[in-house]
Amino acid sequence: MKKFFLHQMWGRGPRVQRMGDIVHIASQRVFRRDSSERESIREFLAVMLAGQTYGVELTRIREILSPPPLTTVPRAPQHVMGVCSVRGQLITVIDLRSRLRLQQAPFTRKTRILLTENAGEIVGLYVDEVRQVLRLTDSEIELATGVFGNDVSEHVIGIGRPPGYVLVLLDLTSIVPR
Amino acid sequence: MTDPSDKAKEDFFSEAQEIIETLSRNLLALDELHRKKGVDPALINEAFRAVHTLKGLSSLFGATMIGALSHHLEDVLDDLRLGRIPLDDLILDVLFKAVEGFGRALALERDSTQDRTPSFIEGLVAQIRKVAAAPGPQVDTSNEYDIDAGLLAVLTEYEEHRLRTNIQAGLRLYKLRVRFDLVTIDKGLEEIKDRVKKIGEIITYLPTGETSSIDSIELDLLVASTRELDALVLELGNVDLIVEEVPRRQRRPSPERVEPRPIESSQHADGTHPASLVPVQPVAGALVDNTTSLRSVSQTVRVDIRKLDHLMNIVGELAIVRGTLARLADRLRSEGQRQSATDLLRLHRNFDRRLAEMQEGILEVRMVPLGQVFERLGRVVRQISRDLGKEIRLVITGSETEIDKLIVEELSDPLMHMIRNAIDHGIESAERRLSVGKPTMGTIALNAFQKGNHVMLEIEDDGRGIDAQGVLRKAVQLGKIGAEEAKDLSRSDMLGLIFLPGVSTREEANDVSGRGVGMDVVKTNISKLGGVIDVHSEDGIGTKMTITLPITLAIVSALLIRVADHTFAIPLSSVSEAIGFDDAGLRVVDGREVMTLRGTTLPIARLDALLSLARSSPTPRRQYAVVAALGVRRLGLVVDQLVGQQDIVIKSLGKTLDSVRGFSGATELGDQHVGLVIDAGAIIEEVLSASDVGARAARATYG
Repeated sequence: MKKFFLHQMWGRGPRVQRMGDIVHIASQRVFRRDSSERESIREFLAVMLAGQTYGVELTRIREILSPPPLTTVPRAPQHVMGVCSVRGQLITVIDLRSRLRLQQAPFTRKTRILLTENAGEIVGLYVDEVRQVLRLTDSEIELATGVFGNDVSEHVIGIGRPPGYVLVLLDLTSIVPR
Repeated sequence: MTDPSDKAKEDFFSEAQEIIETLSRNLLALDELHRKKGVDPALINEAFRAVHTLKGLSSLFGATMIGALSHHLEDVLDDLRLGRIPLDDLILDVLFKAVEGFGRALALERDSTQDRTPSFIEGLVAQIRKVAAAPGPQVDTSNEYDIDAGLLAVLTEYEEHRLRTNIQAGLRLYKLRVRFDLVTIDKGLEEIKDRVKKIGEIITYLPTGETSSIDSIELDLLVASTRELDALVLELGNVDLIVEEVPRRQRRPSPERVEPRPIESSQHADGTHPASLVPVQPVAGALVDNTTSLRSVSQTVRVDIRKLDHLMNIVGELAIVRGTLARLADRLRSEGQRQSATDLLRLHRNFDRRLAEMQEGILEVRMVPLGQVFERLGRVVRQISRDLGKEIRLVITGSETEIDKLIVEELSDPLMHMIRNAIDHGIESAERRLSVGKPTMGTIALNAFQKGNHVMLEIEDDGRGIDAQGVLRKAVQLGKIGAEEAKDLSRSDMLGLIFLPGVSTREEANDVSGRGVGMDVVKTNISKLGGVIDVHSEDGIGTKMTITLPITLAIVSALLIRVADHTFAIPLSSVSEAIGFDDAGLRVVDGREVMTLRGTTLPIARLDALLSLARSSPTPRRQYAVVAALGVRRLGLVVDQLVGQQDIVIKSLGKTLDSVRGFSGATELGDQHVGLVIDAGAIIEEVLSASDVGARAARATYG
């Protein structure tokens, strides 16, 4: 029993030192009491994928991590990058780039994993970089079905156009396979 | 899960399950007594109470099937306990069927939302009504009471019945006045009950209402006993109580024992309340007291096992904190703050120890005694032996042996199957047993014990044994093994063939077993739990199946291996050995690589090719074959390096990876890395599968 315990000592490694990076976004959220009087506002996390800016709905993201060591899973679907352990929980990491048919690039210092919950399972999403939280009003969201062709458009809610930005808003539910 | 009504419903199901198990236990005890021509009214009463509670619960939760069943069953049990109908084989049969019915109904109510009452419930209800309606020998109800009317007024119908029965049997009546400490009343009552049980019966408990202190309560126990007053006092021992014999045919209580009673507590529902022998409170109150005290005797909590898993994960998080503590201590030391560093290290060590204890504690909570399964098996044995007309004695040892809750759940089906086989195939008919000089009653032994980190389970019968040659013939006939191969098999190899699909020891199938679909399923289920099953059998003497199971599913011993820069874990339960070899020892037979291992042919599979792993460096010349075994099928998995043995915690892969075959999960390897756990059974299945189509399908993934 003791022996087993030693193997749980992943607390010593470098990843944990970086755990401070974890941003608990929920605590950063600003709730506006008077939002009903104005236009409704949706918050998106701006992330970079293959040089483009994408937006994912903030409410769907539980946590942002620096990538822990990934273990590739032989025979897994191509868009599965591998599995990793986050505080004792096994998490499958999906490559958003491969899912969106974008070009792949090696890990950098800015690479992050977004944790999202899908049908009761927590899934990690690979992104090249996390930029910032954007608050979009309805008028800043352009529903753009068909812009990217049939294949990709099912993953896209629309285009966000806040001042100074153009970002593709992703629908996580359809991206993460059931 | 979070919906409160769901949770309540879940609670209902587990409570109902518990009640049904209690009921089943009572019935088994009754059945045993009945065979010895005895009867214990307390058992019947307990069964009645159980069903009554179930009825109430099920109507509360709209479980109509269980409600209908318990409603009718309650009537029968009520008639039984009031002596309106005698207990006989027929009724016992119906009662046992009802317990089975409850089990099925419970599963149905849980899984589906169907409103229609299934036909089996209706059939059961009809049977129950039939026995209830059957006129038993008429009990004389016009009997003249020897007892004070005031006392009778407070007795329930059942208590009155017991009182009358005891008086008719010529027993003496006593009144025991006992004072209980409120804190320990549960224990005190149980103790008195135990003592009285040996020499008589407690008919009722009535609070005296005369409590001098607020921490204690006085009860009057009406007891029927065969003993004289002096003998009774002696028998009851040094319990603090006043015993008094209740004289017969008396109109009023003995003067010195008249208790001045507050008026309000002696008011009875009918308002006509004569001077009473014992202080009276509403009887229902007395009964409730009794049941609540019984209930609080068990100090157990039901916990969803997922909550324990959650706790385990928290322990994992605490391990991070511990790591941080150690690093902090190192830093302080390097900065020259030696004293603080030492203090912190001490703290760290302390924390470490407690954390380990906590983890052990959580693992311990997952453990449940095997008795839970064994009880259900007792019922199965009874049922099957009656169906087949065989007399069977079931001997159980080690039911207190503890094992992981998840394992217990998965164990009951395989065990049930093996018991069926033992009774049906193993135990001979009574005539045959007599002719070979065995007692007519067959014996099945169910033994459990702990052996190191494993729990051993043995199912043993004293029947005819397995016909090894017959099994072999069948296996050859089915094309499971070649005729050539068959010649070399040892007796134990032959016996091992019963675990192949389709192989049966019997020519004709019947309702109970013998379709030949059983033992391979048993084997698969056991291996899923990380267990192994062995069979020993001797002609004419009997068969013994031995199951070796890990104590917990939470921790598994595994062999760590490396191949093409990947580290994998293979549970040791599916590894028989690992051997080094080089390519020179290999041959190709029928397009498949094989090697010779101690004179037998071992097919091998290269793990790197099988899992399409890319190699950055050339394949090493010397490799290892890890011999994995599933039943009689063996396969050598070729790996680059044996890393060592490690106890691992297997976590299942998420739903996203459902389609991936060949892995049973993943585990943390200690260096923050995750290693995949190889599902040896699936790999063997895949590689050795006769149909290539199936193998290809198993390998196919999407994406």
